[in-house]
Amino acid sequence: MSFDLNRIIKGRVWKFGDSVDTDSINPYYLYPAMEDLKRHTLESFRPEFPKEVKPGDMIVAGRNFGCGSHRPGLVLKEIGIAAIVVESASRLFLRNSIALPMPIFIAPDIGKIVNDAEILEVDYRNTQVRNVTTGATAALRKYPPTIEAIFESGGMPAFARKRYLAETAR
Amino acid sequence: MGQTMAEKLLSRHNLAQESVKAGELIDARIDGAMCHYHFMDVHKLAVQAGFTEGIPRLWDKDKVYFLVDHHQPALSQSIADDNALIRKEVARLGASIFHDAEPGIAHQMIIDYGLVRPGELVVGMDSHTIGYGAINVGATGISRSDLMYAMIFGELWFQVPQSVKVVLNGTQPGYPIAKDIMLHLAGEYGDDFAQNMSIEFSGSLVPQLSIDSRGCLSTHGVEVAAKFALFEADDQTHAFVKSRTDKPYETLAPDADAVYEKEIVLNVDDMPFVVAKPHQFGNVTPVDDVKGVRIHQAQIGSCANGRYEDIEIAARMLKGRKVAKGVRFILSPASQQVYLRCLKDGLIEQLIESGAQVVTPGCGVCQPKVGFMSAGEVCITATTRNFKGRKGSLDASIYLGGPLTVVAAAVAGEIVNPKDVFHEL
Ligand code: SF4
Repeated sequence: MSFDLNRIIKGRVWKFGDSVDTDSINPYYLYPAMEDLKRHTLESFRPEFPKEVKPGDMIVAGRNFGCGSHRPGLVLKEIGIAAIVVESASRLFLRNSIALPMPIFIAPDIGKIVNDAEILEVDYRNTQVRNVTTGATAALRKYPPTIEAIFESGGMPAFARKRYLAETAR
Repeated sequence: MGQTMAEKLLSRHNLAQESVKAGELIDARIDGAMCHYHFMDVHKLAVQAGFTEGIPRLWDKDKVYFLVDHHQPALSQSIADDNALIRKEVARLGASIFHDAEPGIAHQMIIDYGLVRPGELVVGMDSHTIGYGAINVGATGISRSDLMYAMIFGELWFQVPQSVKVVLNGTQPGYPIAKDIMLHLAGEYGDDFAQNMSIEFSGSLVPQLSIDSRGCLSTHGVEVAAKFALFEADDQTHAFVKSRTDKPYETLAPDADAVYEKEIVLNVDDMPFVVAKPHQFGNVTPVDDVKGVRIHQAQIGSCANGRYEDIEIAARMLKGRKVAKGVRFILSPASQQVYLRCLKDGLIEQLIESGAQVVTPGCGVCQPKVGFMSAGEVCITATTRNFKGRKGSLDASIYLGGPLTVVAAAVAGEIVNPKDVFHEL
């Protein structure tokens, strides 16, 4: 499914610290089936998270979100996380999220403007995040056009398909 | 203005054939793509995108490297079933390089069999692909969807990374210290000090470092968040590569006036033995701070520490000694080639006589696959990661240490300073 970067996203925040690892997001060695993964994602950081998270909620985290292995954060998309907003993302998790695509945004000061359970609004077009509860804002990084195009075409597999069809039609 | 190794690498591979500098986003030509045991996930992504048969073609049948690694022989029914499907798919696609009946870690096999060469740009669907930087290969991990794209087109988008120069000075002691170096750096500068950057190793220690030690350092580049982790090619590199492949290659070296985002200098002569405490790589402390912690399991293996020198130091230190009663000391060579060399040199015999367990090469000891831990148990391990749950129970504790620190703990039954156990050092 394509992702419209211009759409404003709003949701309740689940706040995490630094260096949240992909083993914790996606503990598939222990739970190979998606249904089980959904019941255990991120529990090693916050045991209540998989039980209480609701579709439309957002994840806010500190530095190096998604460090560790190359596993994708697909499970977060499956449980309905509307967006991930982090101070910095591990490069491979970022690459993975762009490819999925899973809306992920880098806002270096996000930790300062929002607390757990507050409502956050992401306005990519205006490169800004806003704490709806307090009104505080922080800047959001804009992606280069190639990355925007991947988001908008629905991720790398769709991007590949489009290019392949164009090449073979010639 | 001069270029770093990463800038040279991506300039040479830039489809637009222009010289690039850090920060630019380009489409680049790749020289190789590594696909490990998760290939069926890539296949499924292709089907979902509308390629009903799966991946429609390989851009080059000789440059997509398929390895059914990680858990070989199959550790579960679902892995066995996936492996059977992979065999069918690889046959359909006509790939020439396929290792499907050999246990081991893909990254080590790639190096053992000379599949990658200095100066190449190689991607792989695994974070530790970065380890090929040990032999001057610009290698990095990508996502499964990226790999699908790369397999079809032999191209991919890259952002040219900034570079951090890590200068290692000092003298190599008579035992491996690469793990201690990376833990030390992560402890000192944070587990993301190289976020999205390319590490270039240099300094007076580098010529003394074995290819095995360089492998550990480059592999751990990803534990400090790097995109590439590169050594220049020297005589050792050329000897190593030429004994495995006769294909020509063009090495990478930085210009003298290359621009670095930062420079970190470490003198290894002043470095204490360190460990990472649970549950993060950067949670580092000198080993003396945690000495006396009782252990139940000790391990040496993985793409970071399953190489010959890691196994050799364990066997050497165990000569005339025994593993402490009740401690499970598990070693897993990184590949069959490594295993064979250890066997021929009598290391395996020594390990078994001293009470260690040697298990099939592969990723098992690095994951909860071989040697699960129970709640309340403690493991010290020379593998890649100590995240909560990495060895099974969320209530088990995992410490990371170098192979010497691990074997010392295995002998003592508790975490100790290796110098307190091995007086010959
Ligand atoms: S040894 Fe561990 S870190 Fe390395 S490739 Fe295997 S599972 Fe990944």
